[in-house]
Amino acid sequence: MIKVENLSKKYGDLVVLKNISTEIKKGEVVSIIGPSGTGKSTFLRCLNLLDEPSGGSIFIDGENILDKKVDVSKIRQKMNMVFQSFNLFSHLSVIENLTLGPIKLKGISKEAAENKSMDLLRLVGLAEKAENYPDELSGGQKQRVAIARCLAMEPEIILFDEPTSALDPTMVSEVLSVIRRLAKEGMTMAIVTHEMAFARDVSNRVFYMDQGLIYEEGSPKQIFDAPKKERTKVFINRIRNLVSKIKTQDFDFYALNGEIEGFCEKQLISKLMRTNLLRVVEELLILYKPYLSKIELELEIAHSEKTNQLSLICQTKGKKFNPLDNKDLEDDIGIKIIRKFTEVVKFKWADNQNRLELLFIN
Amino acid sequence: MIKIFLLIFYLLLSLQANANEEMQPIANLEDLKNKKIGVMLGSTHDAFAHKQYPEADILQYKSPADVLLGVKSGKVDVGIYNSVSLTEILKLNPDLGVIDKPFEFSPVGFGFNKKNVELHAQFNTFFQTIKDSGVYADMIERWTKKGITDMPKIDTPNKNGLLVAGHISDGGLPFVTLRNNENIGLNIELAKRFAAYLGKDIRFDDMEFGGLIPSLNTGKIDFIAVTLMFTEERKQKINFGEPYYEIGMSAFALKKNIAAFKQEKKNDSNAPTFLEGLANNFQSNLIQEKRYLLLWDGLKTTIIISILATIFGTFLGGIVCFLRMSKNKFLNIPAKIYISILRGTPVLVILMIIFYVVFASVNINPIIVATIAFGMNCGAYAAEIFRSGIEGIEKGQTEAGIAMGFNKIKTFIYIILPQTIRRILPIYKGEIITLVKMTSIVGYIAVQDLTKASDIIRSRTFDAFFPLILIAILYFLISLILIQSLDYLEKITDPKYKRKVKTKS
Repeated sequence: MIKVENLSKKYGDLVVLKNISTEIKKGEVVSIIGPSGTGKSTFLRCLNLLDEPSGGSIFIDGENILDKKVDVSKIRQKMNMVFQSFNLFSHLSVIENLTLGPIKLKGISKEAAENKSMDLLRLVGLAEKAENYPDELSGGQKQRVAIARCLAMEPEIILFDEPTSALDPTMVSEVLSVIRRLAKEGMTMAIVTHEMAFARDVSNRVFYMDQGLIYEEGSPKQIFDAPKKERTKVFINRIRNLVSKIKTQDFDFYALNGEIEGFCEKQLISKLMRTNLLRVVEELLILYKPYLSKIELELEIAHSEKTNQLSLICQTKGKKFNPLDNKDLEDDIGIKIIRKFTEVVKFKWADNQNRLELLFIN
Repeated sequence: MIKIFLLIFYLLLSLQANANEEMQPIANLEDLKNKKIGVMLGSTHDAFAHKQYPEADILQYKSPADVLLGVKSGKVDVGIYNSVSLTEILKLNPDLGVIDKPFEFSPVGFGFNKKNVELHAQFNTFFQTIKDSGVYADMIERWTKKGITDMPKIDTPNKNGLLVAGHISDGGLPFVTLRNNENIGLNIELAKRFAAYLGKDIRFDDMEFGGLIPSLNTGKIDFIAVTLMFTEERKQKINFGEPYYEIGMSAFALKKNIAAFKQEKKNDSNAPTFLEGLANNFQSNLIQEKRYLLLWDGLKTTIIISILATIFGTFLGGIVCFLRMSKNKFLNIPAKIYISILRGTPVLVILMIIFYVVFASVNINPIIVATIAFGMNCGAYAAEIFRSGIEGIEKGQTEAGIAMGFNKIKTFIYIILPQTIRRILPIYKGEIITLVKMTSIVGYIAVQDLTKASDIIRSRTFDAFFPLILIAILYFLISLILIQSLDYLEKITDPKYKRKVKTKS
């Protein structure tokens, strides 16, 4: 359906894409992952010529769209795009956002377009917001409307440019589930995303892009479980972490909780694990609290996307001090809770630095 | 508009200042040497005052009425004007008096373009004819001696085309004045007879004194139908027709400042009350001689110029904005230059340049000139307003339209334009109102707008307060109506308002 040959893109001297050749077949869901700044979005935007490629050719259904004679607008109608920043038309209501294209471009009657659009809004669960305006919707709702707007044009392929990156962590899943549904229904899609777990379970094929190339491609299983090339391995096995410093006894506990929840949401950590993490953090902070007027606590939560391993590291400076190793609190409920949820507890004191590492039971 | 408020402010201030000053009464012309003297800009009085009284503080006004008001309000101590018209003016203004006797008598005549020798010769032949037939003597008798102010009926048939005469409608009787919205006087009768003699129709363009000779030499008018005094300087620029009268100058001042009138008793005992005064003002400024017609015509002109200039300016602004936003150097650099020039020069100067320079030899309706000048100015500002509006819209909106399959033009029409309009309306509203007020300067190119109408009324009634306040109110009303209707437009273009209406119905 889309065939790319030797596609390259330069901004002046900066080479963003280097001779990319690949193919996306009908019904395929392709996820494009990789570190930021490696040309993932540019690649996608070159496919519908929002960015003009510097060289190579792109065939859509056998037609080279870089040919000057081709009516690009017509071809774009076949391959709509969902943007990171939604880009809903702010002067139009939700329903008008959906009907504008079909009415003006396809010449469909207003009534027919509205009926169709209402069906699509039902599909994304936003039928009751039809008369609302974009600025009255949440981020997740906006993105679902944007997806419905794409569908209204009945495209053969949808390009998703980081559809969840601009969303609050709490709203990511509503958008992802809509995309999952489309995948199930056989929609051809190309998705640039940072949501590894999502990419893994929604796509047929994964492109790992690095340094302007499709560095490695393969099935999700191949890429995520057995990457062959060095850079892919590093990327897949990297560990994401959240660090926060607690300096006083009066720190904002709720803000910290919110941050942790957001992090878990983003890392797709299970609900149970999340609850456990929060409880352990709370108990640990109670243990540390009496000392917080004198010492500074650095709390680090680390998560490996590959192994789904979650760990909690507490570091303080000064004399040797381990809150878990306190004879007076042998029967303390807090310590019991901590020991229940974490399996390996490592404590190290070196260079005037205390490091307590807890590993969560999976 | 600002001009008007400044004038009012100045008048009020000068009244204040006046009360505190007690000046030495003026006995004779010698005493003028260290006074403040008001004259009409570019007149022979102006030249005379500068030559004769180098020590004096000479203020140059734009019209006879302003000289008179200057004297009445005490901004100048003495005014100098032609002795014949002054006699008529003083009849209406008992608080003014003439100092000594008229002086510097000089022949007066019409002015002709040096290049148009034919018309000049025709006038001289014509003048000889009416002198011989006694018509001329009769005219002088009627206007200047008997004071009969009825115009005889003269047919000007438009057989051989149109003759355009430049004149000053508020010159004062017996030469010219405006009554019932119609020009009358010796000058008018003479000019009309001349037109009739040529078998032509005649049009009188009302101008500022200083604009007469430039207009003649750029071909805006065919001849000057004003009592032009013969001077060497003028002879170099224009040809004078046969002199038809001889007039001198007189200096005049408030009677209380003139030694000869000092003894006169004041009888202020039955001064009118405020309301009576207002009623009198209303009567003299509006009803008498159907002066409301002047205002009505002026109002129409102001509105027409405003509307045409707004439409033209918006259109031009759109084009300039398009050029300015183009990536092509050859398109955006001229647009940038246009914008900076138009924004960096006063509209009045642009207006005069277009009238006297660009369309110098073209017979063009001054209203069109005004429309072009104001439209060009408005266009420069509008272009920048549009640009900021368009650039303020996120790039994503365009991208979404393009990605959906709209081409660039359709994306602009359906997606960018509606959002731009909503954004710029509040600023644009201010721009249009500024434009309306700006039109108050069109009097400079002989267009009779609202401000000019008030100038004419002031010149007849010598009342500054009432006409100025009246047109201030009229301008305010125009602006108010404009603001209201644009507010409404702003409201109905608000998408949420549309929904409200929808759910109601």
